[in-house]
Amino acid sequence: MKVKVRFFARFRELLGTDIILEPPAGTTFTTLVLEVTRKNREGHDAIFDETGAFREFVILMRNGKRVESADAGSLGVADGDEIAVFPPVAGG
Amino acid sequence: MVSKRELERYKRQILLFGEEGQERLKRSHIFIAGAGGLGSPIAIYLAVAGVGTITIVDMDAVDVSNLNRQILHTDRDVGKKKTVSAIEKLREYNADITINAIDTMITADNGHELVGRADGIVDAMDNFPVRYLLNRVALARKIPFFHGAIRGFHGQATTILPGKTPCLECIFKDAPPKEVFPVVGTTAGVIGTIQANEVIKYLTGHGDLLAGRLFIWDGLAATGEHLMIEKNPACPACGAMHNQTKGTER
Repeated sequence: MKVKVRFFARFRELLGTDIILEPPAGTTFTTLVLEVTRKNREGHDAIFDETGAFREFVILMRNGKRVESADAGSLGVADGDEIAVFPPVAGG
Repeated sequence: MVSKRELERYKRQILLFGEEGQERLKRSHIFIAGAGGLGSPIAIYLAVAGVGTITIVDMDAVDVSNLNRQILHTDRDVGKKKTVSAIEKLREYNADITINAIDTMITADNGHELVGRADGIVDAMDNFPVRYLLNRVALARKIPFFHGAIRGFHGQATTILPGKTPCLECIFKDAPPKEVFPVVGTTAGVIGTIQANEVIKYLTGHGDLLAGRLFIWDGLAATGEHLMIEKNPACPACGAMHNQTKGTER
């Protein structure tokens, strides 16, 4: 299966975007994003906390639908899925 | 009534939304929370568009490090209260409108009183705690909340319509961490201008608002796109409102 990962804003600067992956069956939302960030310490640390969970403020979406970070670890990805990982900004 | 002078002053936009639209702008009162990076273009564009009453609130003084983006303020304003600097500039831009500039910190105690009978709140803050507070004021008063935020070359904006769209707490349950954020003035220009444009569209009844959509600006790639956003039925700020209006939504 093919899955596209889209990063936004600072995550995009660190990791690029529109990354096409061919993950094995049974891959979850979380393991997919972990795989993409595996070789990029700074990118990984921007998205995940010390326990390996998504940082609380990070917004996750699958095919345009919001995914709660608590569910991302058990949510399997499917062929054709588009995953979005977005860091809201706070400045004014 | 739109005066003869106003017909001339706003001639080029009256071509877009008519005297009726101009009259609506004139009768409106918009509350701008912040006179910094976002607040500057928002206030300038709403003033020159002829929004009849603008209330702008800020508690800071102009610092020299503000000048790369806060275009309401100039070198000679360094050290002045931002409200003083803002009212001077906005009066120069348009002496025909009413401008209130209030030098205070927005808190849970004064939020409702400060917003008063304004027709909408524009978010030009630099922190989420005050944004959450103003989001709740907007929900309670059933007035729109025009959100915007920036960092670096990136920004986001959405228009929150109480009861109709997700609210700020539905979209951002947890605030991004506090930091001294890097930023270039053009990012504030892009997002602040989008927010002012949303206000003008809302007040004149023109176009499609960023309602239920989070606009995302990437200045490095020079691309804008949007994420569709959804209400959170369990939202602590507006969940009850959704349940009440469920039967009447489009």
